[in-house]
Parts: sequence; C-alpha cells; structure tokens
Amino acid sequence: MNNRFVINYTPGPTYLHQLSGFTKVFLFIIMTVAIIATYDVRILIPLGLINLAEIISMKPNWKPIIFMFLFTFFTVTVIGNIMLFVVSPDAGLNNCGTETIIWASASGRFYISKEWLWYVFAVFIKRTVSFFSVMAFALATTPSEFASGLNKCGLPYKVCTIISLAYRTIPDIANDFVDIRNSMMMRGVELGKKASLGKRLKNNVTLLVPLIMSSFGKVTNIANAMDLRGYGKNKKRTWYAEKEPTRADQLVRGLTIALGVLTIGYLIWSKVIDPWPAKIWCPFSDPSLIRQVSLEESFFLFRWLKQLFNH
Amino acid sequence: MAEKSLGQKLLGVWNTKTIVAVAIGAALFGVLMCYGGIPVTTNTNLTTAMIIPVVVGAFFGPLPALVAAGVGNVIADLIGGWGMWFDWSIGNGVAAFFVGLLPVYGAYVTEGVFNWKHAIIYAICVVVGNGLAFGVITPLFTTLFYGGDLNVTFIQAIAGSISNIAVELVVGIPLMFILAARSKSRTNLKEEE
Repeated sequence: MNNRFVINYTPGPTYLHQLSGFTKVFLFIIMTVAIIATYDVRILIPLGLINLAEIISMKPNWKPIIFMFLFTFFTVTVIGNIMLFVVSPDAGLNNCGTETIIWASASGRFYISKEWLWYVFAVFIKRTVSFFSVMAFALATTPSEFASGLNKCGLPYKVCTIISLAYRTIPDIANDFVDIRNSMMMRGVELGKKASLGKRLKNNVTLLVPLIMSSFGKVTNIANAMDLRGYGKNKKRTWYAEKEPTRADQLVRGLTIALGVLTIGYLIWSKVIDPWPAKIWCPFSDPSLIRQVSLEESFFLFRWLKQLFNH
Repeated sequence: MAEKSLGQKLLGVWNTKTIVAVAIGAALFGVLMCYGGIPVTTNTNLTTAMIIPVVVGAFFGPLPALVAAGVGNVIADLIGGWGMWFDWSIGNGVAAFFVGLLPVYGAYVTEGVFNWKHAIIYAICVVVGNGLAFGVITPLFTTLFYGGDLNVTFIQAIAGSISNIAVELVVGIPLMFILAARSKSRTNLKEEE
C-alpha cells in the first residue's frame, strides 16, 4: 500500500520542490482554471507538455504514476468511450457541429464519424492534461505547504487546518485499516475475490465499525492537545512551512500571472473577437457548415420528456 | 443541553473538536474511497466511504459533513491520482449535506436519540440528496468544467447515486442504531463547563 502513495510529507531536493507553498498553490489554481476554461486541443497540448516537464524535472518514482495513469486510462477512457459509443454516437455532431460518417451498422443505430473520433481525442487530451497537472502538484507539495498556500490565497485558516490535519492522519488511518483488515482476515472474514459481491460488501462493513470507532476516538485527544497549545485563539496564524519568496518563486509567480493573462486573452479571442461556432475546435469541420445543436436535441432525457408531452 | 437554533444546527459549531473531527472524517473518506471500494462503472464505486458523511453529520451537523466529504474527495483524488474531478467533489459535498441533516430533524445520535421515525426521514433525505447532487449538480459541472458528454455523465451519475443510496440505507441505518445505543449508555454523565 505504501508504494502507491504519491504525496510527499517532506520537501524534495529539486527546483520545483524548493518553491514556497503559495507559489505552488497559485500555479495549480491558475493551471486548473486554464485547463477547465479552454477546450481547445491547440492550447491543451502545450499545457500538458509543461506539466509533463514539471513531473519529469522532479525525478519521481514512476511506478505508481504509470500504474495510476493506466488504471485511469482503462476505467475512464476505454470503458467511458464504449459507453459513449452505445449511448450517444452523435456526440461528434453535438460538439463539433458537422458529421462525416466513416462507418455505420446495418440498422444505422450505431455509427462512427470523424468528428466523434475527434471529440473522443479532445476529451482524452483534456483528461490527460488534468491528470498531469494534479500529479505535478501532488508530487511537488507537502501537506503543510498546501495548507499555508491556500491560507495565503484567502481561505480561512481553520479550513486549511482541516486539509493539513486530514493529510497528516492518512498514514495512521491507513495503518489502522490494514491492522483491522488483517485481524479480521485471521478470524476468517473473507475480503478477497473468493467471496461473492454481497458477502464482500457485508464484510467490508464489519471492517468499518471498528475503523470509525478507533478513528473518531482520537478526536478528543487531538482537539485537547491543540486547545492546550492555544489553537484558534487569534484571528490569524502564521505557518511554519511558508518561506520568504526567493528569486525562483518570483519567476514562477510571474510566469503563472502570464499564464492567467494568456488564458483570459484566449477566452476573449475565442468567444468574442473570432468566435468558433461549435463547442470545440475541430480541423475537419468547415465553419460555414456548422450547425448548432440545442440541448433538447442532444440530451436523451429532454428528448424523452418532449415525446412524453407531445402524446 | 441548551436547545440550539436552526442556523446553528445547519452550520454546526466550529470549535477545535469539530475541526479535528472533520479532518479525520475527510481522511477516512479519502482512504475508504481509494481502498474500500468495488468499482461499478467508470468514475463510480460501490464504496463504503459514503458512510463517513453520515457519521460526521450525526455528530456535528450537515455543514461539517459537507466539508468532510468535499475535502475527502479532493484528498482521494490526490492520493488516488486519477485527476481532479471537482464536479464529483461538489456533488459528494451536496449529497453529504443532505445526508448529514440528522440533528436538524431531531435525531441526536450523540445523545442516543434515533428511532424508526428518524430512520424514515433519513431515508428520504438520502434519496433526495443523492438525486439532486448526482442527477443535477454533478452533470451540470461536468459539462461546464470538462465538457464530458451529458448522456454518459447522466448514466454514470444514476449508477453512482443508486450505489450510494444503497450503501447509505443498508449500512447507514443499522450503524445509526448501533451508535445511538452506544451513546445512550453514556448519557447519564454530564459534562461540566
């Protein structure tokens, strides 16, 4: 279990690790906004490469990262796209505005269009870039830096304490979880694949009660210890993890602001100055032929409701 | 114990004890989300983590339950590393708020009060909360944030809310009776201010 954790509890030696908490949180927030707000492969691929370079520069332990990437790829992309193919083969038309069919089943119910493939590719790129940015942030930031950075962004410090405390207790809880599971298994409670689904669920629940009891039993002790040290007495608090900004910090903060300005510029350009008529940019579709698809047409629930009311 | 106002019941009392409990709830949520789940479809798990907001809600009120589930989901995303899905974090937070309404309708589990009437109200809250959170809020944010396909998201959301409702009803109600019975045997002790 331990080698599956990617979060660090002590700061590492590389350039990005040495940045202050606020710089990392600020970069992560602007990066996330940029990824969420832009839905354009031309923007997302450079962002993804920046994040990938960040990850590589930190020389991480690649095994858990590759495992997670493959796991996510399989569950979200492979299964998700099979579902997409079955449920809405018209996703290409809905998002790109045109449709060039390259294969269709005999009944015409299922088909693949160039735009559908492009839409699948765009979603995959968006999710991959999102994955890279989370991974880069998780690798670079220790829980205390995360909390202090969020506090500096204006979040109340009690909420920040929740975050750093939650991180702090995860290894303890994970250890308790393994201990309880091992002792349960020793008593003959089957949690592996041998038991049926219902039985496994029931056994998982029997595991839960002692875990909840032991975890919440610690609450009073920790709270008393914090109260005794004067926690929550003043309106503000300082953070041990927050350092004075170095030259590297100022450089990264400047670049982050530049990224934010570029994102706003792109949004103004793509929505106001030169608006693309469809939801996502697609190299196959001719802008003059694009047809806007309304939500009533594309969302099956609304289609059903419409049919229901017409009867 | 003095009767609290409705606002206080909704928001909870944010002293050090609540903060620690919410933090531990979030950590438990994260760990259970990562290691205590059985996958149903993509992005959704038949997970026992959904019980944590119920417990936090019963002890501290709905807003702490919301924060525990929301922060817990963000932590699960970070340690699980499958990318940040803020849409699901927000959805889980909203569902947790409804599930954690227990003290608002008089089910003071910490004082040993939980009967069948409360169980029925709890069941209604679970269904309404999950329906609203995963039927409306999560699909809305998914299309807004990630541009995912609405049809697929909706099917995932239905699968997710059904599995959540099942876990919260089948596990949650017996657990509440157990917790209430445990607390009842201790209520003759009074805490002095």
